[in-house]
Amino acid sequence: MKSLYGYINAREKVMKGVFIGSALFSVFALLSITVFLFWSGVPFIAKIGVGDFIFGTKWAPLADSPSYGILSMIVTTLYVTALSVILGVGIGLFTAICLYKFCPKKLVSPIRQMINLLAGIPSVIFGLFGMTLIVPFIRDYVSPTGVGYGILSASIVLAIMILPTIVSVSLDAMVSVPNTYFEGALALGATKEQTTFKVMLPAAKSGILAGVVLAIGRAIGETMAVIMVIGGSPEMPNSIFQSVRTMTANIAMGATELSGDALSALIATGVVLFVFTLLLNVSFSALKNNSVKKDRKKNKEKRYAKNK
Amino acid sequence: MKKKLISIVCAIMALTMGIVGLTACNGAKFDDSKNISVVAREDGSGTKSAFMEIIGLKGKSDVSGVIIGTGTAGILAEVKSNPLAIAYESLGYVTSDVKMLTVDGVAATIENIKNGSYQIARPLNIVYKAATIQSDLNGAFYEFLNSSNAQTIISDNGYVSTKDEATAYTVKSGISGEISVSGSTSLQPLMVILAAEFERIQANVTVTVAGGGSGTGYKNANDGVSDFGMISETFNSTKAENCTSCEVAKDGIAIIVNKANIYDNISLADLKNIYNCEESSNTKITTWADLSK
Repeated sequence: MKSLYGYINAREKVMKGVFIGSALFSVFALLSITVFLFWSGVPFIAKIGVGDFIFGTKWAPLADSPSYGILSMIVTTLYVTALSVILGVGIGLFTAICLYKFCPKKLVSPIRQMINLLAGIPSVIFGLFGMTLIVPFIRDYVSPTGVGYGILSASIVLAIMILPTIVSVSLDAMVSVPNTYFEGALALGATKEQTTFKVMLPAAKSGILAGVVLAIGRAIGETMAVIMVIGGSPEMPNSIFQSVRTMTANIAMGATELSGDALSALIATGVVLFVFTLLLNVSFSALKNNSVKKDRKKNKEKRYAKNK
Repeated sequence: MKKKLISIVCAIMALTMGIVGLTACNGAKFDDSKNISVVAREDGSGTKSAFMEIIGLKGKSDVSGVIIGTGTAGILAEVKSNPLAIAYESLGYVTSDVKMLTVDGVAATIENIKNGSYQIARPLNIVYKAATIQSDLNGAFYEFLNSSNAQTIISDNGYVSTKDEATAYTVKSGISGEISVSGSTSLQPLMVILAAEFERIQANVTVTVAGGGSGTGYKNANDGVSDFGMISETFNSTKAENCTSCEVAKDGIAIIVNKANIYDNISLADLKNIYNCEESSNTKITTWADLSK
C-alpha cells in the first residue's frame, strides 16, 4: 500500500514538473526573444542616436556614407494599419451584424464557414492574389500615376486578411449578449435595426474592441503579403499610389542579404516594431480594464439608486 | 428578402469575375507619355550591386518611387505584367515573357559578352578558403568546375564560358561525402545543374546548393558554414578576408522591358540617368518619351 502511494506520489511530482516546465517554456521563449532583440538592437540605436534612427528619413544602409533613418517606414506602417483596419472593421462589423439577425438562418452557417476558411489561407497566397490581381487592377484603372503598388493595395489585402478575426470575434461578442436585451428592446417598440445598433452593439462593445485590437496586431505585423504589394521603396508616403516600405517589409527584405551594421539596423527596426506591439497590447488591456470598471461602477450606482 | 440576397450575391460574383477578367485578359497598353516604372532588386542582391557598379552608381540609393522586386522571379513577374516597367536581370534568367533592350545598339548576347562589346556584364565566382580545395572531395569539385565538362553545361544554359582551353574531368575513385555551396541566387540555378552532373559522375558525392544572395556567399565561405560560397560580382577580399575566389562563368545583365514596349534600344547614359537618385530634376528622365532617340 505504502509503495503504491509512493509510486503515485513520485509520478505526480514528475508530472507536476512536466506541466510547470511546459508553462515556463513559453515564458522562456518570450524572454529570450526580448533579450535577443534588445541585446543586439539597442546598442545599435544608441550608436546611431535615437533621434537619427527613429526620426531620420533616409534609409541607405549600403551607401558610401550609410544612414539608417526609419521614420518613413514607421509612418507607412501606421498608414497601412490604419487604412486596413478602417476597411476591415467597416466590412467585418457589417458582416457580423448581417450574420447576427438579418441574414436567412440557412445562410449563416455556410457564410461563417467560408469566413473561417479565409482565416486559414496562408499569407503568401494573399500576397500572390494582391500581386497578380489587385496591383495590376489599381495600376490600370484606379491609380492616376500608373503605379499599382503602395498603401492602397497593401491595405486592401490586409483588410481581407483581418476580416475573419473581426467577423468571428464581434459576432461572438454580440451573441454572448443576453437575448433578453434584444427582446426587451423589441418589446419597448424599437425596430430590429434600432435594437441592433443602439442596444446590442453598445453592449458588445468591449468584445468588438478586442477583435479590432487583434486585427490591428495582425495588420501591423503582417509581412509576406505586404512585401508583395507595397513596392518596397524606403521613402516617405505622399500618396496611396506610391512604392513605399513598412517596417516588417524592411526586415524581411534585408535579413538574408545584409550583414554587419546593416543587419543590426534591421534588428533595431525589430525593436521598434516590438515596442509598438507591446504598447498596443498594454493600451488594450488598460482600455478593457477601464471599461469593465466603468460598467461595474455604473451597475453599482444603478443598484444603489434602486435601493434608495 | 431571399431574392434580394441572391441578386446581391450574383452581383458580387459578376463584379469579381469582371475585375479578374479585366486584369487577367488586359492586353497591356504602352503609353510612352507615362512615367517609367523603375524596378530594382533588394539591397544586398548581387545582381543589383553588379549592375549599379557597372553603370557607375556604386553605393548610391535607389531612385524615388522604385519598385523593389524580391528575387529574380519577382522582377520577371513585374516586368511581364507592367507595360511601363524597366528592370535589369541576369541574361541566363531572362525568359521569352519579356523583351530585352539593346544597350548603345549592342544586343545582350553571349558573343557580345565574351568579346566585351556588351557593356553590362559581370563574373560569377565561387569563394572558398585556400585549405578547402586541398581536400580530395572539394578539390575534385573545384577541378570539375574548371573542366571542359562544366564549360559545356555553362554555355548550354545561356551563360558565358570563359575558359576556352579547359580539359576533360577525370572521374576520381574513392571519394564520397557532402559538399555544401551557398550564396548568390544568380549563380544558384547554374550551380544546381553543375552539381547534378557532378553527382552523376561521382556516384557517392552529394552537393547541396542553397541560395541567400552574394552577401550570404561571402559570409558562409568565410565562416566555414559552406565549403564554397557563390558571388555574382568581382571578388572583394574585404568581405571575406580568409578566402580566395575563382571565376565559374560570366553573366550578362540584360535590360528588360514589357513586350508591349515600343522601344528596342537604350543608351548607357539614359540607363544611368534612370537609375541615378542624384540626377537633377531638370535633366531627369521620367517618362518613356524622354529617352534620347
